[in-house]
Amino acid sequence: MVDIDPTEHEIAELGPEVNQIDDVDELEAMLALEEDGEDRQPVKTLIESRIETLEADDEAVDPETVDLTDLTIADIANLVRDVDDVDVLEDMLEREAGGNDRKGAKEQIENRIDSLEGSGDEEPTEVEYVPPEEKYPDLDHPTADKQYVEGVSGERYRDMWVYCETQQGELIDVAKEMLGKARELMDEYNSDSDAEGAYGGDEDGEPEDVVAVVIGSDVEDLAEEAVAYGADRVVYHDDERLERFRHKPYTEIYAHMCRDFEADWRDYHEPRYNVFPATNNGRDLSALVQGELDSGLASDCSDLYIENAMISNPAKTGTPGDSREFERVLHMPRPDFSGFEYSTILCIDKPHRDFHPQGASVIPGAFDLPEPNHDREGELVEHDLDLPEEWFQIEILEADQLDEGVDLTGNDVVVALGRGIGDDPTAGIELGVDLVDQFENADLGFSRGVLTASYQFAGHVEQYVNMERQIGESGQVVEPEVYIAAGISGAIQHKVGMDESETIIAINDDPDADIRDFSDYFIQGDLFEVLPRLTEAVEAGELSAVAQEASDD
Amino acid sequence: MTETDDYEHYEAVVVGCGPGGAAAAAALANNDVETLVLERGVDAGSKNVSGGLVYAEESSPYTIDDLFPDFREEATERPTTENYIHNVAGDQVASFDISSLHHHDSEWSDAVLRRKMDSWLAERVHEMTRETGGGLLTEVRVNGLLRENGEIVGVTTSELDPIKADLVVAADGVNSELARDAGLMDWEDPDEWFQGVKAVVEMDPEDINERFGIEEGEGHAHLFSGDLFDGVRGGGFLYTNEDSLSIGTVFHLDSLTEEEAEPHELLDNLLTHPLLAQWLGDDYEELEYSAKLVPDSKKAAHPSPHQDRLVLVGDAAGQMQAQGPIIKGMNHAVTAGALAAEAFVDAKARNDPHAAGDLYEQKLRDEGVMEKLRPRSYRTLGKLAEADPISKVTDAVADSAIGRAGVNLLGPGILERLFSSPRMMAVMPDTRTPYVTIPTIIAEELGERVDADNTVEPPELDDRIGDLTYDVGDPHIELVDNSFEASGTAVTACPVSAKDFGGGCYRDEHVKTNGSEEHLVSLDTQPCVECGTCAVVADTHWEHPDGGKGVEYKQG
Ligand SMILES: Cc1cc2nc3c(=O)[nH]c(=O)nc-3n(C[C@H](O)[C@H](O)[C@H](O)COP(=O)(O)OP(=O)(O)OC[C@H]3O[C@@H](n4cnc5c(N)ncnc54)[C@H](O)[C@@H]3O)c2cc1C
Ligand SMILES: Cc1cc2nc3c(=O)[nH]c(=O)nc-3n(C[C@H](O)[C@H](O)[C@H](O)COP(=O)(O)OP(=O)(O)OC[C@H]3O[C@@H](n4cnc5c(N)ncnc54)[C@H](O)[C@@H]3O)c2cc1C
Ligand code: SF4
Repeated sequence: MVDIDPTEHEIAELGPEVNQIDDVDELEAMLALEEDGEDRQPVKTLIESRIETLEADDEAVDPETVDLTDLTIADIANLVRDVDDVDVLEDMLEREAGGNDRKGAKEQIENRIDSLEGSGDEEPTEVEYVPPEEKYPDLDHPTADKQYVEGVSGERYRDMWVYCETQQGELIDVAKEMLGKARELMDEYNSDSDAEGAYGGDEDGEPEDVVAVVIGSDVEDLAEEAVAYGADRVVYHDDERLERFRHKPYTEIYAHMCRDFEADWRDYHEPRYNVFPATNNGRDLSALVQGELDSGLASDCSDLYIENAMISNPAKTGTPGDSREFERVLHMPRPDFSGFEYSTILCIDKPHRDFHPQGASVIPGAFDLPEPNHDREGELVEHDLDLPEEWFQIEILEADQLDEGVDLTGNDVVVALGRGIGDDPTAGIELGVDLVDQFENADLGFSRGVLTASYQFAGHVEQYVNMERQIGESGQVVEPEVYIAAGISGAIQHKVGMDESETIIAINDDPDADIRDFSDYFIQGDLFEVLPRLTEAVEAGELSAVAQEASDD
Repeated sequence: MTETDDYEHYEAVVVGCGPGGAAAAAALANNDVETLVLERGVDAGSKNVSGGLVYAEESSPYTIDDLFPDFREEATERPTTENYIHNVAGDQVASFDISSLHHHDSEWSDAVLRRKMDSWLAERVHEMTRETGGGLLTEVRVNGLLRENGEIVGVTTSELDPIKADLVVAADGVNSELARDAGLMDWEDPDEWFQGVKAVVEMDPEDINERFGIEEGEGHAHLFSGDLFDGVRGGGFLYTNEDSLSIGTVFHLDSLTEEEAEPHELLDNLLTHPLLAQWLGDDYEELEYSAKLVPDSKKAAHPSPHQDRLVLVGDAAGQMQAQGPIIKGMNHAVTAGALAAEAFVDAKARNDPHAAGDLYEQKLRDEGVMEKLRPRSYRTLGKLAEADPISKVTDAVADSAIGRAGVNLLGPGILERLFSSPRMMAVMPDTRTPYVTIPTIIAEELGERVDADNTVEPPELDDRIGDLTYDVGDPHIELVDNSFEASGTAVTACPVSAKDFGGGCYRDEHVKTNGSEEHLVSLDTQPCVECGTCAVVADTHWEHPDGGKGVEYKQG
């Protein structure tokens, strides 16, 4: 009677099979077989839960006939959401009144009727606030046990906080860009001008600050730098364990700074605004911190401005049909569709729930990099908090710096090879390396022409043939004291990568090669002959003599 | 619910904002169809090359100024008021006035530069499509068709999520990746294509007026044929712009590859011919070197250019008509684009928007567009004359004493009329006879010596490349077979490569491995001008660069 005898199958195979079966009787039979046979608990759970799902589906209730006394208030809340017929709802209301007559249930139905009919001409009434946990005791309240999820509002908020990310012991550019922007915004905010974003300071007329946050190891200097870029105050946390970005401690520290940190200047509930960089780490941190503070986040913003906003959404105004002007709202435009459309995100308090700090992450490069002003004054505040070991449970065993590749800049001498080596590319590179080896501080470069060729190189020189050694427009720009170009014609795209070199020596068998026009010494000849002679000459300390002789042709 | 239900949906997506795409988008927007236009260039026109004369044909249901009223005032250069063809043999030249051929069926024709023209069109298109809830997005490259259950339902791009639409207009020009993806066009046969190469030469408007003997608001079109081009079948052109000249060549791609000719050298042959000395003067300043493939509608125009929700318009559908020396691609792209839009609106009205393709095909036929693109007379007469033995005979006859006598007997008056006959020009076979042999004979027998001293020194290829603007991205062409045998033709045929030139895209190399030597080609796509030639003549996997990447023409 069953297609599948569960006792003959592994649990892993059974999962998908069982979920395909729609016949409860068959499932019951399978359950029985399993109980009589292997009696594996996971298998039984699997089958039972399938039966439950099917039975629940069967119960797909009809609002017109369902016995409301069987339903919880939450069930009713879910049910009425799909009913669009006011008559049906009225009927349900009657049935509920005649049955359990629960106030909550009737409210659900009434609300639904209201929202379908609109609130009509009635005087707008303030919606009475009941905390969600009380209002819907049967629903899940995932944030109920979070002590910081507050029903509060009307708290004091101040200041624009800017998270200043560091990399390799430096503030990254976007941190400076955000500080510059924050400075601009808060200067206007504190001013009395006619601009829309000018409020003359906080609600009491006191100026609000740009607060920079720096977290890391050995970051006091960076804190000072943050002042130079526009911060009024820098809160920094220094701990050698924080050398690298780590989710847990960084989030805890940041959240503590803006919510629990006791300092005389931090006489407010939470920051008014929190701004993060939309970098890899910044994106993570912004989401974690804003989540921890039970607020929202507009990610990847391309602009920021502060203005009042007229809002009519009753969820925000508390009064259906009313519009209300919210003040000091951070407007956070972000590109939606490849920059085609922008949405401006606002993070606004609800009547009984605060959405502060208003949070944004900002695309690097969206704002100009400001000039630092090292004479600016600002307050440095060291944040102290014991960081429990369990925040550092994740141990970083190894860290790899993405290969920065070959850096040809900073050499005294660069020997560059071009397609002139084509007759014997391996030998050409060997000759180039020989010459490089004569100098203390020298390296090998190439024209693009070599790197994109179909040349075959012997194994021992192949390591050099690497796009990272390309010199020119689409490669590196070098300015060594001596640039030796062998078998390079001197195309404009190559030239821009080397013509600031102090002395340029070109080796080419074509007397009309363009490179001649911008070389100090032009040695006309076959590089396979000239390079070894140059190497010998350098060994003998006579480089300039050879060059001189050769170019006096 | 399938995942694709989440994709952004528009009523119509138009790919490419050249004349074909612009016309389609404008006509759609005029009918309130929600239209999104995707263009891969940083700006419309930044990828495009034409000669170019835009024609407004009297017999055509749509002309570009029907759809864009201020077009001639805002987007074009000079109107063509005089037209000549020059038959050249060495320094002997016989010139004919062919204005009547030009004016045949032409309401007007204006010279254009594509950067200026297309970016002006694009602004109008953006304004118009915005009204419908769509718009124009640049720097977006469509890289394929979106299919659901095997049926085309939209496009995929390199920059955005896939987009669904009830109508997909592929107006993506020659080498249409969408037409290829749909299996409607292939890039195999060199004899279905021309290659056009052009130089835009800076010139003071006063100098233009003086050298051509014209005034403001007047312009010249000159065509060139004969032995100027080392036996390669094709011709040259010179058009006057406001403050520059467009001088270029258009060759049959099969002939170019057979002769292993260097396109830039053939262009230089024209630029340095004594005949051009009178116009070019002593101060040659080349603003831009450019190139692009051109389909030959006689062979390439797809008779049924649609599939599912996809319609092809313009070069993407091979709708580029070479009427002898006169090249008409832009006007047909406009007509086809507007007809495709019309077809969609009709289909929508019939409650079957996805049937637009069939209606479009029918309109192309009913409006006579298809007959212009693939004339029945060519299918019989022209093709026959191309068959090799016959073409050898006609060639030999023309070049014989009898042929020569004929030319003399006919005399310039009749020849001029013959050259001016649109019928004659439409059936002209693609052999050397009309392109090279006859013009050469004409010049030899009837021409006059030009002994002016042409001092023009065209820039070398490396300088031409150096003067172009590139935003280099990842390589967009992959060399599948790098043996010289398979892909060596590209070394000469690529307009920015040449034998013994290390700075081009394609370079031939002799590579020694274990004692034996192989003849290979290597490819660097950085100097590529995306002309499409190597997609046909070499063994490549060929795509366009991603949005905004690659060459950026300032003139076009
Ligand atoms: C040298 C030369 C001379 C010519 N002379 C003339 C002349 O005198 N008169 C004339 O009428 N015609 C002439 N032509 C032909 C004419 O230029 C074309 O027929 C015409 O441009 C075709 O228009 P179109 O709209 O179909 O395609 P195009 O004008 O080629 O437009 C296609 C557009 O699609 C975009 N695109 C392509 N692929 C994608 C993608 N995957 N995703 C997004 N966008 C994409 C391109 O960037 C481009 O903007 C000449 C051509 C050449 C090369
Ligand atoms: C957008 C763009 C970006 C580019 N970016 C770069 C870039 O960043 N860097 C770069 O280098 N190129 C770049 N290029 C390519 C550049 O244009 C040239 O193609 C390239 O530099 C040529 O390399 P080459 O000089 O080695 O080769 P070639 O130009 O082929 O020159 C080889 C030279 O070697 C000489 N020669 C031959 N045999 C011998 C011999 N036995 N002894 C001595 N001399 C000999 C020849 O006379 C010739 O002058 C770029 C091109 C473009 C279009
Ligand atoms: S590489 Fe190919 S597409 Fe690019 S310019 Fe050369 S032939 Fe044209």
